[in-house]
Amino acid sequence: VITPQYLSKISRRTTLQWFAAAVAASSAHRYASAMQKSASPPPVKGYGTDPDLNHPTIPWARTMTSHQLQVAAVIADIILPASGSAPAPSAIGVPDFVDEWISAPYPEQQADRTIFLAGFEWLESEAGRRWSRGFMEVEISLQEQLLQVLIPKDKITATPAWAILDQQHNSQDLSDRDPATRVRERFFSRFRYVVVGAYYTTSEGFKDIGYVGNVPLQSYPPVTEKERAILDEELSKLGIHS
Amino acid sequence: LRYGPYDFKPYSRDGLGFDWPITYEDVAPWYDKVERLIGVAGANEGLENTPISPPGVLLPPFPLRASEYFVKRGFESLGMSVAAARLAILTQPHQGRPACLYATPCLRGCAIAANFQSPTVLIPPARATGNLEIRTHALVYEVESNNRGLAQGVNFVDRRSGRHHSVRAKAVVLAASTCESARILLNSKSTLFPQGLANDSGLVGRYLTDTVSMYTLAQFPALEKLAPRNDDGASIFHMYVPWWGYKQQARNELDFPRGYHIQPYGNVTMPDMETLGLRVNDATAAYGSGLREELRRKYGSYFALHGIGEMIPNANTFVDLDPIVKDKWGIPVIRFHWQWGEYELRQAAHQRRTFQAVIERLGGKVVWEASETPPAGYLHETGTTRMGASAKDSVVNEFGQSWSVKNLFVVDGGIFASHPRSPTLTILALSWRNSAYLADEARKGNL
Repeated sequence: VITPQYLSKISRRTTLQWFAAAVAASSAHRYASAMQKSASPPPVKGYGTDPDLNHPTIPWARTMTSHQLQVAAVIADIILPASGSAPAPSAIGVPDFVDEWISAPYPEQQADRTIFLAGFEWLESEAGRRWSRGFMEVEISLQEQLLQVLIPKDKITATPAWAILDQQHNSQDLSDRDPATRVRERFFSRFRYVVVGAYYTTSEGFKDIGYVGNVPLQSYPPVTEKERAILDEELSKLGIHS
Repeated sequence: LRYGPYDFKPYSRDGLGFDWPITYEDVAPWYDKVERLIGVAGANEGLENTPISPPGVLLPPFPLRASEYFVKRGFESLGMSVAAARLAILTQPHQGRPACLYATPCLRGCAIAANFQSPTVLIPPARATGNLEIRTHALVYEVESNNRGLAQGVNFVDRRSGRHHSVRAKAVVLAASTCESARILLNSKSTLFPQGLANDSGLVGRYLTDTVSMYTLAQFPALEKLAPRNDDGASIFHMYVPWWGYKQQARNELDFPRGYHIQPYGNVTMPDMETLGLRVNDATAAYGSGLREELRRKYGSYFALHGIGEMIPNANTFVDLDPIVKDKWGIPVIRFHWQWGEYELRQAAHQRRTFQAVIERLGGKVVWEASETPPAGYLHETGTTRMGASAKDSVVNEFGQSWSVKNLFVVDGGIFASHPRSPTLTILALSWRNSAYLADEARKGNL
């Protein structure tokens, strides 16, 4: 079985704008403040808190090899397969986003870098151990089988990223645990977080999920009669009557 | 939000914290002026200790979103009244600024100046007077005083060149934000003021307060029934729940003396990393088309409840100068000393229980909630240069004027004697009141 080759879909500039937009609304200031308390200095500096927008630069180099991009494409597409008019993640450049994500020098991204690179390595060696082939050479069903091994037994909690950051800082260092354990515990949930987060911050993602805002309006429409009727019925079922 | 009449006299009401040397009536005209200037959408519900604005001051409120209508009914069924959010976002053109276009996120700044921000609303008219000079990259670290005990200017570092500069002035006004103003004063030591400037009482840096804020995210199956809708609105809640427990507290039915209001965030926002990246953990399916379906179905059905609660100032929460650590320009930094009081912890527990009760009432399920202790760092810090009725128990008088250095004023949140709710409007109102007093005193030659 030959998995179709993943080719970069977008320019780095576009990926970086996407990266910035995806994290800016909720947590940019958290990253900025976390950066200051980061224990080990990242290899390169990021944008900082006050970048020169008139002379944009790309402050970090990309991390992933072409092979790792292929692996990321396969896993991303298993996590969110194409459905109807909604494209697969690999069709809209999500693997490039993943690469940009783990290449950024901020604490959350750097923690993911360790986890993801170790995860790719584990998938490769585990495919070799089980089937004497590389991850990209085995059937999709076997690739999926390997991914399933990594799904945590316990439910993953929906902890906000800033709380995860705090935990990471409080728990000192993740790297003193053996890599295999770390991968098994964290690869699936973190990789899925990045794939899903990236996918739904695109116009294709908006369309799929039903986000129809960010359109200029003359006035803001109140709740409609139809919506009110639906909700009144639901409220009645809960014993709340008008 | 305006502070109410109770909020200026907390010590008189329950014997805790400190009274302000002023009443609601003293500040009300300045609230009116600020609301007229910046433009505030809202309504006058007339709820207890929740002041109304005079006729013609408020702009029409934002209409409720569908999900807000749903949650409102839940609050009301538990006896909690809901009020229109007071937002400094224009629902009508106002003083040359256009009305909101209901797109683009307000918190990243508004390109058409339909929300209140200093750069678009305060600075242009100040600039038009011809009397304003703005020095950017100037980090003030010291107020210099002369041998008569008066402020004579400030010293600052230019952030780009690293060079030190001085400017002379007839009066100095600190508006550097609560902790930084305290740091500047503590760093302004001289023979006359060995404890730092304006610190004869020893209170500079003391009684720091922040907001007691718990947070719970929930998912509501009932909201899955709604079709996709443009929920952007003002990109923030259109309603809130003012503190409803005054009567209960008066009857001693609650184990904490001060209240909180609830800000419900339920709009279907433009997804960012966390929106779906976190909700995915709430899904039954781990991956695949089942996961995609579930994300789609539940997208518009989440609601988060935030509490904004009053912290009572305590002696164990303060800032002081770090004896060792200096910033990159060699200026001593401040240290934070933090301890929630027992009342804050009880109030936080009440916030959590209340959120759970509302969520349960509406058939929802908690997805994530803050732990037992409220997280520190809501960034509503106030109180380090407190105002009061005498030089002995406060740093500044009711006009933000230092008791010991009469041409030195503080106009930020540091001068707050208590901290019942979001501070911005009160900071603006008091800044204006203090500035009017300063101008008046200068004209009379009293400085």
